[in-house]
Amino acid sequence: MSLALIELRRRPGRFAAMLAALGFLVVLLLLLGGLLDGLYRGSTGALRAQDADLLVLASQSRDSLLRSVVGPADRRRVAAVPGVRTVRGLGVALVGVTVPGRDEVADGAVLGYEGGVRGVPLPPRPGEAWVDRRLRADGVREGRRLLLGRGRVPVRVRGFVDDTSYLLQGGIWVRLGTWRRVLRQNRPDAALGPRTVQGLAVRVEPGVDPGRVAAAIRRAAGGRLEALTVAAAVDALPGVQAQNSTFRGIISVTLGIAGLVVGLFFALVTLERTVLYGVLKALGASSAQLAVGVATQAVAATLVAFLAGGLVSLGLVALTPADIPVELRADRAVVTFGGLVVAALVGSALSLRRVVRIEPASVIGGA
Amino acid sequence: MASLELIDVRKTYGSGHTEVVALDHATLTVGDDEIVALVGPSGSGKTTLLSIAGGLLSPTSGQVRVGGEDITRYTNRQRTRFRRRRVGFVFQQVNLVPFLTARENLLVMPRIAGRRDRAVLERADRLLAELGLTEQAHQLPATLSGGERQRVAIGRALMNEPALILVDEPTSALDTRLGEQVMQLIVDEVTSRHTAAVIVTHDPRMARFAHRRVEIVDGHLHAPAPA
Amino acid sequence: MYLALREIRRSRGRFALGVGAVGLLVFLILFQQTLLTNLLGFFTGGLANQSGDVVVYAADARRTLAGSVVPAETVDAVAAVPGVARAGPLHEATFTVRPAGGRDLLDGVLFGYRLGGPGHPTTLREGRLPRRDGEGVASAVDADAGFGLGEVVTVEPAPGAEPVRIRIVGLGDDLRFSVQPTVFVSTATFAAARRATNPAAAGAPVLPSAVVVETAAAADPAVVARRVTARVAGVEALTRDEAVASAPGVAATRQSFGVILGLAFVVVGLVVGFFLVILTVQKAGALALLRAVGAPAGLLVRSLLTQAFVLAAAGAGIGVVLLTAAAARSSPAFPISVDGPAVAATCAVLVALALAASAVSVRRVLRIDPLQAALGPSVGGLA
Repeated sequence: MSLALIELRRRPGRFAAMLAALGFLVVLLLLLGGLLDGLYRGSTGALRAQDADLLVLASQSRDSLLRSVVGPADRRRVAAVPGVRTVRGLGVALVGVTVPGRDEVADGAVLGYEGGVRGVPLPPRPGEAWVDRRLRADGVREGRRLLLGRGRVPVRVRGFVDDTSYLLQGGIWVRLGTWRRVLRQNRPDAALGPRTVQGLAVRVEPGVDPGRVAAAIRRAAGGRLEALTVAAAVDALPGVQAQNSTFRGIISVTLGIAGLVVGLFFALVTLERTVLYGVLKALGASSAQLAVGVATQAVAATLVAFLAGGLVSLGLVALTPADIPVELRADRAVVTFGGLVVAALVGSALSLRRVVRIEPASVIGGA
Repeated sequence: MASLELIDVRKTYGSGHTEVVALDHATLTVGDDEIVALVGPSGSGKTTLLSIAGGLLSPTSGQVRVGGEDITRYTNRQRTRFRRRRVGFVFQQVNLVPFLTARENLLVMPRIAGRRDRAVLERADRLLAELGLTEQAHQLPATLSGGERQRVAIGRALMNEPALILVDEPTSALDTRLGEQVMQLIVDEVTSRHTAAVIVTHDPRMARFAHRRVEIVDGHLHAPAPA
Repeated sequence: MYLALREIRRSRGRFALGVGAVGLLVFLILFQQTLLTNLLGFFTGGLANQSGDVVVYAADARRTLAGSVVPAETVDAVAAVPGVARAGPLHEATFTVRPAGGRDLLDGVLFGYRLGGPGHPTTLREGRLPRRDGEGVASAVDADAGFGLGEVVTVEPAPGAEPVRIRIVGLGDDLRFSVQPTVFVSTATFAAARRATNPAAAGAPVLPSAVVVETAAAADPAVVARRVTARVAGVEALTRDEAVASAPGVAATRQSFGVILGLAFVVVGLVVGFFLVILTVQKAGALALLRAVGAPAGLLVRSLLTQAFVLAAAGAGIGVVLLTAAAARSSPAFPISVDGPAVAATCAVLVALALAASAVSVRRVLRIDPLQAALGPSVGGLA
């Protein structure tokens, strides 16, 4: 084991304050990242799951599925555009879901569809639904009945699907007919005509450029329709972009702080170790070896802090109430650890100059 | 009147089987403008005696008087005040505050006593000039030579016009020539101010700068050997 | 001061790193705090600043306006409850709106209330309340985005339907709802907007989202709310404050930010604390020397606290500067305004925290033995 790691192991007390500060920063980073992921995934799941090249919405809706209305005539026009392979109708209704036997009403997003959704089987029979696993927390179970919206439209839970929420409400996937019924009985003023949907999920023929098809769709509908990629539709969801940029900003500042904390610590410790480094240099250690030692300690300390902070985060998330959409994910953890290691290396590099400048002769002849 | 009187002073550490006697019935009087060299091997009790005389330690028994002031039963707080007013220290190793310049290391004495008038500035500058440090006044200790650092420490010890100056191995980190210069400087400064001094050293060559020489072995003071 | 400030001056690099770390942390805290306040205000402003003391939702609405629909007859049922001075419908929905001046379409919230009845905005800053259909009071923060006094905004209709035009006759503070520009209009204007966006439901009645209640002068809104819930079937009545607190996302946002802010405070304490401890350990020799030559421990403690104060105060200064810069660069869709007193209070707490965090170092300073200065080489040090 290298000298640097032996010091870390034998004198953990010396590193305790930095480890504690770094550990808390890890918790901060993981929770921020978890919140970002939870918010993002919970808001966008139903759209991300669309196995489509384009999403077609009414221009007037400003890229919002919730406010879009697409009539049967427009649907026919879209289907007739060259390069369009399949057109599938889509509709959403945000409703309260009554779970028999439960006092609280759960939030649900009733999604009417005609297939073409990744992870969701083909539309169930009328009166049945595939339900997002998120709603299990509200007491939803397979085979049970749910009552949707103010009109209390009953559906039976056929089975569970994952990552299909819309605006933080668990997805309830039903036939378009069931969805229209829910809509009509929930708010009479929101009722839509038969065969009317809110959006169209369009797949283009293989080898055809979706961008050109989108332009053709806009032309064919005389500007009444907007065709956008699924990714663009996800970004257009209310708050998604603002959330992403705000959280990313906060996460970067937090990483910057981690770098400064590590930098500060090693700047102080190096000063204290001037004599030790002088002795080691006098014994023949090169500046590079000492620098590697400092970097090793920085990375090892980051690893320890990350493991400790990760455990604390897991505990905190387990204690978090269900309505806070925090989701700890392995990919986020890996990215966070990578960011911390970079910050720690940059921070520890601040004191390398000092290490390099130490004269081995300075230890001979004492103070 | 004597500057320092140690009367039958005893200092022990620990108790029972583990008791260590650092100073055993030591009696010593240092006159008003007398310079005494305290000579002895390592572990003989030199530093303990110096610490008791300077109010850093209180004796287990016996009496300590400095400039007529009986400090034997002083509390910690009283001893702090006493050190600030009545003694000047020159230590062997840690002698200067690293983040203060030479001049500021002198001014630290009046500052900790709450004085910030013109007179102390003038006194500091005069001492620096006497010690040949005017040019180095604004340098930090790290940029001074070993001899210069000891001279700054001597200046600091003289800042508060002490009744007694206590010097611990002032030349241990210096070569012979530089050591002799520093000793001569101490003797000159102390003599010109009619102040008393006790200088601890294990180097007999340095001891001859003193007016009188006292030997200490295993905590016992021995009758002055002929100088 | 003498020692503290000179030490800072002579070790600028170290203190700069310390101040930098604390400054960024303070910025993080202030920024998130400001974001939280603004966000919550934008989430619920329209609901918080309307005149109804009690908001009556449909029982299954989970206390959200968006999820609530009440039958028209509920308004009269609520009005009959003792303690209710006036009751009226309140409509709320998000529409695609074209602001004045040919700007791009954006999402806007309309609140519909019975003109002259409860539910009117209470924070009018300029202009007047609407007197007839087609007039509206807009959130003042969006005045420059095409919602200015005298300007006309248009609710974008479905193809083939007629647009609904609203002339802005008043501007009110803190009226945004769901973080979107918000306009208070008459129930008829709201219904017209609804029908224009969904001609398919043209014949259906436009139902209110909730009933708003102005309570009688002597009545306690909380009592009235309980009474309404008990006496009117299928509703849940909340006081205005309860309604605001239980608006979607408010509690969750508050809690998540609370945890994150709490952690950031702990990190500030740790960073300041460990910075000072290492500094104290490193200069232990010099501190023993100062104690030996007669410096009282109190003087050294004061010096340490001075440094903790400088560290925190300079960090707070950096944090405030960064916050001001961030606020100045915030987008018109989400303008961040800095709440001076709140920022000052947070900075004061952080400075106090820094002083508390120096406790470990203070203990070390108090335990320094001046004798160490005489005992020599083992102490080490730089002089």
